Amino acid sequence: MSKINPEFADTLAKYGAFDITACFNCGTCTSICSLSDEDNFFPRKMIRASVLGQTDKIDSSLEPWLCYYCGECSTSCPREANPGELMMSLRRYLTARYDWTGLSAKFYTSKLWELGAIILLALFVLVMFILFAGPMDTTLTDQGGVKLNTFAPAKVVHIADWLMAASLVFFLTGNVFRMYWRTIVKDESVKIPFKLYFTEAWKFVFHFATQWQFSKCGDKIDDGEKKKEKTSTYWIIHLFLMTGYVLLLIMIVGFLNWFQTEEIHPWWHPQRLLGYYATTGLFVGLIYFTVQRIKKSSEKAKFTHYTDWTFLVLLFLTTLTGIMVHIFRITGLPYATYYIYVIHLMVLFPMLMIEVPFSKWSHLAYRPFAIYFSNVKIAAKKIKK
Amino acid sequence: MEPTTTNIEKQTAAGVDVTTYDALVIGGGIGGEEAALNLANMGYSVIMVEKDYSIGGKMVHLSKVFPTLDCSACITTPKMSETIRHPNIEILTYSEVRGIEKDGKIFNTSIVKKPRYVIEADCTGCQLCEQACPVVVQDQYQYDLVGRKAAYIPFSVAAPRVAAIDIENCTLCGACERVCPPNCIDFTMKEEVIDVIVKSVIIASGFELFDAKKIPQYGFGKYKNVIHAMQMERQLVPTRPYNTVLRPKDGKMPDNIAYVLCTGSRDKTIGNPICSQVCCMYSIKQAQLIMGALPMADVTIYYMDIRAYGKGFHEFYIQTKNMGVEFVKGKIAKIDEKDDGDLVLHYEDIENGGAPKTATYDMVVLAVGVLPQNNIPELFKNEVLELDEFNYVKQTDKLVNPGMTTIDGVFVAGTSSGPMDIPDTILSAGSASAETASYLRRL
Repeated sequence: MSKINPEFADTLAKYGAFDITACFNCGTCTSICSLSDEDNFFPRKMIRASVLGQTDKIDSSLEPWLCYYCGECSTSCPREANPGELMMSLRRYLTARYDWTGLSAKFYTSKLWELGAIILLALFVLVMFILFAGPMDTTLTDQGGVKLNTFAPAKVVHIADWLMAASLVFFLTGNVFRMYWRTIVKDESVKIPFKLYFTEAWKFVFHFATQWQFSKCGDKIDDGEKKKEKTSTYWIIHLFLMTGYVLLLIMIVGFLNWFQTEEIHPWWHPQRLLGYYATTGLFVGLIYFTVQRIKKSSEKAKFTHYTDWTFLVLLFLTTLTGIMVHIFRITGLPYATYYIYVIHLMVLFPMLMIEVPFSKWSHLAYRPFAIYFSNVKIAAKKIKK
Repeated sequence: MEPTTTNIEKQTAAGVDVTTYDALVIGGGIGGEEAALNLANMGYSVIMVEKDYSIGGKMVHLSKVFPTLDCSACITTPKMSETIRHPNIEILTYSEVRGIEKDGKIFNTSIVKKPRYVIEADCTGCQLCEQACPVVVQDQYQYDLVGRKAAYIPFSVAAPRVAAIDIENCTLCGACERVCPPNCIDFTMKEEVIDVIVKSVIIASGFELFDAKKIPQYGFGKYKNVIHAMQMERQLVPTRPYNTVLRPKDGKMPDNIAYVLCTGSRDKTIGNPICSQVCCMYSIKQAQLIMGALPMADVTIYYMDIRAYGKGFHEFYIQTKNMGVEFVKGKIAKIDEKDDGDLVLHYEDIENGGAPKTATYDMVVLAVGVLPQNNIPELFKNEVLELDEFNYVKQTDKLVNPGMTTIDGVFVAGTSSGPMDIPDTILSAGSASAETASYLRRL
């Protein structure tokens, strides 16, 4: 038995969905979708569940995470019901549903909450600096660099990093577990043999590292070479941004003592090269996606929820201030370095705390987990047969 | 056979410049004929302007009508003959209304008669010019399935049955001119402007068929075995060009045929959100006719909803289903062509769980919809003819006076006011002519 809730469409509208009741179930969206197959097919069934407000069914669905929003369903929908945007809204909705604190739902449905949280976390960082920062030493190192580790010793910041990472892991694993609980444990149609969790695990790693589905997304309507190129451009740029971000996160959380040094390494030093790679990746991706969203040049960039802008703006500011800290430090501008460093952390901290467990960056975890869970289920069904 | 000389020619010869008519009927299809005949039989004088070489509209090209399976041409040709012979009806074929200006209670109308390069009054319809002509081009009256000559009688039951020269493709070789017995081919013919005064106007200009090329996913024009429904209709008429149903690419007799409903209807992406009202039924009708023409062929109809709403329609649908035509719920999203010309249809199998599926067919028929003709308001120079939200002529008082438009004295009949089938068109034309008569009486 599944419950229906006719008011669900109004709830979902806050997460970005459009006139989903316009749908008359013709199935064009599902058959045009290049990622839909006989094991996982969407988006029509998700639209149906949303129109009826079958929240139990939506909560237990992996499909929204298997959609990478090429937008072909939206462009070919005869009712202009925007199935692509519905799937995006469901991802936002599910992010809020997986989150047991309820903060995610607040951030997605209230600009005040989102902005308030950003300001609060930024102020927290500022207060921490006021309380614990070292002296602003204006003398330079022998190489002519700023003595950043005197002002904000990497060792101390590293501890803060660890605390932050621990809370991120705490929230995110909790959410992933809730996802697992609803989509696998509560799904009575299939019993998963334990060994499948290991045999299918490589798929999680593979899809996390390559974002392979992006490269396949949207290649069903073939209007020549141009389209193919666009799909792969999107995939590569997204991959560039994603690897840049993950790389930075690893360096900051795992190896801050190595990454934040007073010594100015030569340009070819891995510390600098990796930093430049990540910064470039982030900039290229951010500029590409921002321009797309401003120009509304593709279907997926047509509709921008305010949380999408928050994400882009915060990430952009983080990247910009991060590279500025580096430039000011190696060119020997002490005050500029210190102030920008404070601002950098004032942006970075709220961004990670809000985006990673409660907002868009959780996709980075949910998407590969969804593919993994889905493959586990498919394998289990095959064994059953 | 047909009138030897038109009234206008007579009057022009007598030095009269302008003629007065009670009604101008724009369009010589089934709706226009019905309206013109009703008025003419009441004693009103009518001038009918038809843009094509022949009157008859689209109905004359159809095979059978639903749900009775009556022969379409057999119903419409007597009406065409009656119209063309009626003493109160003046017909201008291959002509277009250029401008209508309201002046008090009358409409000053200017009509352009385009040159067909054949003197209508003299042509006997012997077709010798057609035999002599060396140029072969695609025949628009057979919806490009076969060829025709550049000098030709439009189609066998054309009215008037008068030849025309397709000057675009003509090589000016003069072969037709040399063989024509009454010497009626005249390459010096020029466009002629005819000014008339009319007291009322009936718009019966009909509809445009949706151009299937506008949905590139279906590959019409690219994949040869994807045809539109009018092409299938021509393959099913008694005078069909191949004398059987063949697929265009290789002439193979198709073993399985798919229908794609709602091609260009109920589709906001191509700008036509409404139902065309005829495609479900004509596809069902064609499916029955295919079963007659190709007894071994399988026919599958892919639909979003079957709209069998008229008298006897649902029964006809059930009968067709019982005859073995398969109905699958799901809109076709895309068609691919295989090397051998077979076609792969992509759809969601909604009734069986919903997985995306493909199915292969020898031939695909796109059930193209009905679109409004959008140049009608331009004809009215000093009044505004409003259109409704779907670009059909706006019916200002739909329930009480369905023929009324935003201009007093201008009425609308048939598919100019919205998609409808043949019986509804005739009803609508009847109503429009009655309203016109009533208007003329009160004038």
